[in-house]
Amino acid sequence: MAKEMIAMILAGGQGSRLYALTQKLAKPAVPFGGKYRIIDFPLSNCVNSGIDTVGILTQYQPLVLNEYIGNGEPWDLDRLYGGVHVLPPYQQATGSDWYKGTANAIYQNLSFINRYDPEYVIILSGDQICKQDYSEFLNFHKEKGAEFSVAVMEVPWDEASRFGLMVADENDKITEFQEKPKQPKSNLASMGIYIFNKDVLEKYLTEDEANPESSNDFGNDIIPNLLRDNRKMYAYRFNGYWKDVGTISSLWEANMEIMDPEHSGINLFDDDWKIYSRNSGLTGHKIGADAVVENSMITDGCRIDGSVKHSILFAGVVVEEGAKVEDAVIMGHTVIKAGAKVEHCIIGENASIGSYALVGAMPTETEKGVATVGPGVHIGSRALVGPSAMVDTDVKDGEAKW
Amino acid sequence: MVKSQIDALGIIFPNSYDNQLPALCSERLMASVPFASRYRMIDFILSSMVNCGIENISVIVRKNYRSLMRHLGSARSWDLSRKNGGLNLVPPFAEKTVKVYNGRVEALASIIDFLKVQKEKYVFISDSNIVTNFNYNAMLDAHKASGADVTIAYREEEIPEAFMNLQATVSTDLYYTLRFDENGRVEHIHTNPKSEGVQNLSMNVYLIERELLIEKIQHAYVHGYMYFERDILAPQLDSLKVHGFKYEGYTARITDIVSYYKENMRLLNDENLDALFSPAPVYTRVRDDNPTRYIGSPQVKNCMVADGCVIEGSIENCILFRGVKVGKGAVVKNSIIMQDTTIMDNAVIDYVITDKEVTVSEGKELRGNESFPIFVPAYQSI
Repeated sequence: MAKEMIAMILAGGQGSRLYALTQKLAKPAVPFGGKYRIIDFPLSNCVNSGIDTVGILTQYQPLVLNEYIGNGEPWDLDRLYGGVHVLPPYQQATGSDWYKGTANAIYQNLSFINRYDPEYVIILSGDQICKQDYSEFLNFHKEKGAEFSVAVMEVPWDEASRFGLMVADENDKITEFQEKPKQPKSNLASMGIYIFNKDVLEKYLTEDEANPESSNDFGNDIIPNLLRDNRKMYAYRFNGYWKDVGTISSLWEANMEIMDPEHSGINLFDDDWKIYSRNSGLTGHKIGADAVVENSMITDGCRIDGSVKHSILFAGVVVEEGAKVEDAVIMGHTVIKAGAKVEHCIIGENASIGSYALVGAMPTETEKGVATVGPGVHIGSRALVGPSAMVDTDVKDGEAKW
Repeated sequence: MVKSQIDALGIIFPNSYDNQLPALCSERLMASVPFASRYRMIDFILSSMVNCGIENISVIVRKNYRSLMRHLGSARSWDLSRKNGGLNLVPPFAEKTVKVYNGRVEALASIIDFLKVQKEKYVFISDSNIVTNFNYNAMLDAHKASGADVTIAYREEEIPEAFMNLQATVSTDLYYTLRFDENGRVEHIHTNPKSEGVQNLSMNVYLIERELLIEKIQHAYVHGYMYFERDILAPQLDSLKVHGFKYEGYTARITDIVSYYKENMRLLNDENLDALFSPAPVYTRVRDDNPTRYIGSPQVKNCMVADGCVIEGSIENCILFRGVKVGKGAVVKNSIIMQDTTIMDNAVIDYVITDKEVTVSEGKELRGNESFPIFVPAYQSI
């Protein structure tokens, strides 16, 4: 039986600007929001929108992501027909290729798409934090009689030149596409989320593949070709919360924003739109008799005996007595030893911060950096990690890293 | 076959001692009583069995089992959704031979045809009123070493107060103590003794070879016997070699609402929490709650809190289950608050157990005390 729409998630991103966090895992696998990984958002959106067939295109460091996705059961995507499938590049009779670009990644998996004979294909990005109902997007696509639609966000005009922009008429029909232009004609930024009619997708991917000059990228090649041929292209305005967490500061910011759903617009406390994730299987968290907890999010397995303010603690984090944590994102199973001070920073999984160590600092007029400690890194006792430092190797006792 | 599994199957009695917790078990059974912020009683036995390699587990339910069925679902959370074995839930009237049982003999007799075609050599039988991270492998080793026909796990402890006042109406609500000879063989099984001081109190965890169990059950059933302990084990101690397995791991035995309260609270001590949870993971049904959110600067002292809570008021010495809301200015002390309960602004709660989805309205006060915590049934609004 044919599926109406299936999803393909581009999850090959290395996330090089997050390097301390992405040495051993792809950006979509980066932990987020206390108990999630970034990929939980597009995956949960798919399930909540009624999409039950999802291909995840991986390339860079796929091990963690593969293991995390598993059979897809946490997202209810273990299905007899459809479900979630991780699609790494593979060897074919005619040779093997890494994914050369976003378009090529989908092209190499056309046979996967065709197995389900869908009418529409939605292309998603695996590195964005967003709650979006893709079924509403599909309704828009159908109402407009579109062959291609792209989800767009209005951005402030003075920032528009950082984005790929869609110029659209009063009927939302796209007339022009500008990639990071100096003179923006529009403030509708592409979110990198596309719905294609399957036959159109297949035609343009096949043509693009035949062109040796092409960079095989949706933004650079496919969208301009669709425009050239006057295809029916529409811009779908999305006005919910959307964040590309490509940098340490945007990742930190997005984490802080989920603690403030009243203002930020990203509410994870929504029974009608749950974000699913693989469960840690730990007990409820423990707050000790002398602990202080303010404006924070804390999850299973944490043990708090120190002070935690305005921070997100992932599963199994330990904050010992006298330790102070503020404005921090502390990923799973990291231990903050007694007397350590951890501020305005991101600390990866399974790290340890020695007693009386200082990591990061509250922002000042001149210094607003988010200190970063990579997963598994040990920071010695009384060591110091400066507010803009990104540390991916151990720091010895008493040593300073700026 | 690679020997990662133990050559044993498990049988669980989920209704044992239901009558000891009438408030909590009015709509459920002992096995589905919530415990320790995110678990149900049966999670501990199922997880222990699975962690020891027991992958063929039958749960013989008697009544009030809807909540248990919902909790277990396909049993995937315990890795028991298996092609061979897995979880086998046996409700009354499942087949013409299965009816509401009054004793273990009847219950076991109802699955005798199932037992006959299983391949495992040994059978572990367990109730679900004891929270523990049990090591069935150690018990099997002891069983083999002693050459016993039946091994019973027991603890050296005083008989709980609740048992001393027991008015048992069902055989699965009885309790037993053991007396050993100098070689550690059980020479006497006492039923419901009211003895003071430390006793060898049975945990009602039994280990027996499957073939022997079938033989004993068939014999007892045709003779109209009901009680496994009183009618099979106790009269045959001369011919049956019954040994004890002294269990020294962490246990929380639930015998009434007071012990239920105390055993939850005991886990607020990190040493106890580690003793129970560190030997092996304990699995439960996943609810996909978001992390718990603390808003403002609430006073939080000595609490265990599950995911999905929103805390704005102060909480002290509490166990909070999933999805609990504590409003601004509310004060919650010494209480067990079960899932999706809402304590509204400025309410005051002390020594209270609320079942799930209770609402305590704004400004209301509710105080019990340690020896008599107030219980609020599910879905009630105060």
